[in-house]
Amino acid sequence: MKSRRVIRVCKMGVVGYLNSLKLQERLVSSRKAGEVPDTLLSLQHPPTYTLGKRRTDHNLLVSPSDLARMGADLHYTDRGGDITFHGPRQAVLYPIISLREIGLGPRRYVENLESTMIELASLYGVEARPGGSAETGVWVGDRKIGAIGIRISGRVASHGLAFNVNPDLNYFKHIVPCGIADKEVTSLQREVTSSTTLDEDDVEDKLISCFIKQLGYTDVVHEHRDSLLPTEAEAK
Amino acid sequence: MALRMWASSTANALRISCSAAKSAGLSPSFSITRCFSSVLDGLKYAPSHEWVKHDGGIAVVGITDHAQDHLGEVVFVDLPEAGGSVSQGSSFGAVESVKATSDINSPVSGEIIEVNTKLTETPGLVNSSPYDDGWMIKVKPSKPSELDSLMGSKEYTKFCEEEDAAH
Repeated sequence: MKSRRVIRVCKMGVVGYLNSLKLQERLVSSRKAGEVPDTLLSLQHPPTYTLGKRRTDHNLLVSPSDLARMGADLHYTDRGGDITFHGPRQAVLYPIISLREIGLGPRRYVENLESTMIELASLYGVEARPGGSAETGVWVGDRKIGAIGIRISGRVASHGLAFNVNPDLNYFKHIVPCGIADKEVTSLQREVTSSTTLDEDDVEDKLISCFIKQLGYTDVVHEHRDSLLPTEAEAK
Repeated sequence: MALRMWASSTANALRISCSAAKSAGLSPSFSITRCFSSVLDGLKYAPSHEWVKHDGGIAVVGITDHAQDHLGEVVFVDLPEAGGSVSQGSSFGAVESVKATSDINSPVSGEIIEVNTKLTETPGLVNSSPYDDGWMIKVKPSKPSELDSLMGSKEYTKFCEEEDAAH
């Protein structure tokens, strides 16, 4: 007999990085207070570079003014992990969940996120693997397809994973992704053998399903983006 | 369950020491197998898996063997400056391991009088020596009675077992 576990899923489309940080902070507080169930945000970001708690600026290879010219943002965050890029056609999942209730420590939770992406890739016939000890993330051969960076506060996790469906990989040339030099970045579109263009909505749905299955949720509640995000006017 | 407590008290009885020159009176960190984490007598424990050793008016704080085992390899420890203050149950820093930063909470309130700067260069000490070289901060407790609300070694051992068994 399996106990019931609820996940609230919200597909948000494109969300600015700062707005997503504020939303996550609110959700983490609410989750700690037991006011909301485990919540999964599924979204994409406009072109954005982010750094983790260790502030590894040396892995950003261009200047802030170059970034502005590219139309990309830069943000410093409290998540684990090194520098990475987020952009259109990269699927991002931010699970705001109580690790205490699921009974997962940080390492096992990260492994679950890796497995989620590996499973998704396999649905498209792509064989991915977790990284070695210094290379957390998901790889296809020697090419990185998925990244992870999470923050745990009071045993509630935030931030999450980023899976390259078909982003513009040139953006990755301006950083040493995750601080790992000499390794390529790839995408699901690049790795699929079929010549068809991937349906991004379909990939998003499958990624969400893989996560739900991997983390053992039994019940899914869907939330509309408008009820979680403030209006543009409120955001300013 | 009995095996883990046996292991803990055996380690104490044998006084097996990983680093012989270290502080007297503190039972050493020793795991007979990696199937279970070590818990030391003489320390107090918080439910968020930090330990505190109260000795001569100073409280030394770190994270437990159970905590470091669940974190994985620690690559970065973010600690405050000496002179700052902490309060019981509130975060005073963070530990980064395998792409996750986890808050560390203080088991006691007071003034931070010393911070373990070795952890900047060698964060792995938290994994290899969580109760000894991996200590994080030393606090002058402002409310020593807070220690009474923490768990002893037997209670903490049971607490960890219950947590791990829940799935």
